[in-house]
Amino acid sequence: MLRTALVMAMVWLGAAAAGGAHAAAAAGREASDGQWTMPSKDYAATRYSELKDITPQNAHSLHPVWTFSTGVLGGHEGQPLVVGGTMYVVTPWPNVLYAFDLTREDYPLRWKYRPDISANAIGVACCDTVNRGAFYVDGRIVYNLLDGHTVAVDARTGRELWRVRIADLGSGETVTMAPIVVRDRVIVGASGGEFGIYGWLKGLDLNTGQVVWTAHNMGPDADMLIRPGTFKAPYDSGADLGAHSWAGDSWRTGGAPVWGSISYDPELDLLYYGTGNAAPYDPEQRLGDNKWSASVLARRPGDGTLVWAYQFTPHDNWDYDATGAMILADLTIAGHPVKALVHFDKNGFAYTLDRTNGRLLVAAAFAPVTWARAVDLQSGRPLLDAAKATGSSRGNVKGICPSAEGGVSPSSPPAYSPRTHLFYSSTNNLCMDYEAWRASHLAGTPFMGVNTPYSAGPGTGLGSFIAWDAASGRKVWENPERYPNWSGALATAGDVVFYGTLDGWFKSVDARSGKVLSKFKVGSGVVGNPITYRAPDGRQYVAVYAGIGGDWALLAGDTRSDDPTDVRAPADYIKDIARHTSQGGIIWIFGL
Amino acid sequence: MRPMRHHDIFGHSARLAPAALAALVLLGCARPGSPQAGAAAPPPPGVSYVDHLAAGGILPPGLVLRNPHAGDAGVAKGGALLFKSMNCDGCHGGDASGWVGPNLGDGRWRYGGADAEVFSSIYYGRPKGMPAFGGALGADGVWTLVTYLRTLPLPPDLPTESWEDK
Repeated sequence: MLRTALVMAMVWLGAAAAGGAHAAAAAGREASDGQWTMPSKDYAATRYSELKDITPQNAHSLHPVWTFSTGVLGGHEGQPLVVGGTMYVVTPWPNVLYAFDLTREDYPLRWKYRPDISANAIGVACCDTVNRGAFYVDGRIVYNLLDGHTVAVDARTGRELWRVRIADLGSGETVTMAPIVVRDRVIVGASGGEFGIYGWLKGLDLNTGQVVWTAHNMGPDADMLIRPGTFKAPYDSGADLGAHSWAGDSWRTGGAPVWGSISYDPELDLLYYGTGNAAPYDPEQRLGDNKWSASVLARRPGDGTLVWAYQFTPHDNWDYDATGAMILADLTIAGHPVKALVHFDKNGFAYTLDRTNGRLLVAAAFAPVTWARAVDLQSGRPLLDAAKATGSSRGNVKGICPSAEGGVSPSSPPAYSPRTHLFYSSTNNLCMDYEAWRASHLAGTPFMGVNTPYSAGPGTGLGSFIAWDAASGRKVWENPERYPNWSGALATAGDVVFYGTLDGWFKSVDARSGKVLSKFKVGSGVVGNPITYRAPDGRQYVAVYAGIGGDWALLAGDTRSDDPTDVRAPADYIKDIARHTSQGGIIWIFGL
Repeated sequence: MRPMRHHDIFGHSARLAPAALAALVLLGCARPGSPQAGAAAPPPPGVSYVDHLAAGGILPPGLVLRNPHAGDAGVAKGGALLFKSMNCDGCHGGDASGWVGPNLGDGRWRYGGADAEVFSSIYYGRPKGMPAFGGALGADGVWTLVTYLRTLPLPPDLPTESWEDK
């Protein structure tokens, strides 16, 4: 086995050297040709488009030009893809894939693909039956099914090329994330931080779907694909940190799922992804730092080798997943050019790291934070407020900010504009009480043991949309929103930024000031991510899903109308959300 | 590639997590598949959680299910413990008021609210994601949960939610 792995590693090193330049060129082409072929637009996860027909001067005339009901009511996270003359849309469970013909007037379907998918997945998904999108590569659409499969579909015909089981429902794994493809590796991960999974990332063969490597996010070095001499954590040293930083063998059921986006630097040949919360929610059942939950990990795509890791929230006490986007940008910090990685964490801090080695450069709160006073740049560790530590012996701990929904949800990826040098992000202004008790691990059932009632945070509105300077850790402007803001962001070369709100407004704003340029009520709350593209008619359009859901299907259960046997009182901190929106999956396209 | 784990803990109570096991023992129901009182037919076979049997909700002809603990407050209290220790709360919410699984305290039921219907939902599972817990809990454990759910205070059934005239 070892010998095989070594040979594979050598083959991959060669491929990386030969393929690096090509991959970079390909990424550059895709960035400027008006398509949207990857979930986050590019490998750097910027969600920035070079298109600039829409400007602060003309955005007021944006109006809907086309809509389509997906026929599905689950939370519509994620985003469409546009490749050539076709738009691809993946729905929440049952994960239908639609292909719309953008060359015809009414955008009729070219085909739709309805995968063989198990309904049992519904009961193993913690937080609604969402899907965060597909990836296009070489004539293929690759995406994940909630029930633990990855599929590749012929982008022209809709024919299934392969369908491979990657995750195990029986142990609490479902799959909601969008894959990323690097050369001929499809990179996937599983949700299940609420089910005590043994979190992992896998690399599949693009041509067959076969699993080539599996890298766990904790556990002994061998399970984590830490190979001799390959791994250097900026603030930690020693063997088997992923096992020794957990009491006993609690790492085996420690969660650390992968359900956000993954980015990639072709020059460094490194993948970057965040891991979710440690399980269970009672931290006393897993004493120690719990590495590498709530962390960012950098791996080689070819063979999965771990290169560095940094933990945002050691010994997670508050459900602070770090699965939000890792945005790669070249910034100037204190006069020095830096290959940076920028991450807005659920824990309320925005982090700027050196992506070559994982060292922390800037960390500042972008949302109200009470669990820690600051992050120490020398040690890389948060300076904790001991009164906010949680656990089954500590009873009900009150006044923790942010809530378990995060300062921003990892489901709401930010955008970066290289023109303004600003990052744009949704935020939540919520706090919580946290009462934990000892949870029993029964594979395939929730491994939680917590009650976390939420309340409004300080200040105006339950959420906002912000512009952030990641070089200095400073908020540049902020648009307060009435409800927690749950959509992704889109930045464009026209200096117009787009986002949606939980009560169903789709907005365009000035990238430099945040001034609202246009808004339209899209029929259901927006938890998806806007994209932009140049259609076959030569014009720039913007597309976004409406369809409230994700955690909001659960937290504001009275926004449902589809089940007469499930009637819920509104959440007391967001009593009137159902007055303004209800479920419904709709694709919207806007144009000038 | 790491082989997929095979999960067979249900039906093997020795491998149940300690808290759940303690709750089962406490309730005297750590005997998966033990015959339920009042049944006219042999007990249903234990089913494995991983199979997630989605039975469709119709009992076999001639089978009458009667809750042997109906109205027993002590058993209901044990059922509340079981509701937590078997992680029912992880899907249905701490007070059974709904999370990713439906509200069980609103007086409305997807698959019927009679004791026998609720028993069937828990024992055999249901097609929208409710796993089959019969193999793990045994009939008596399931009846214990049913007895607890029966004690939830029902709010008035108000079909109208109004934001005016408040």
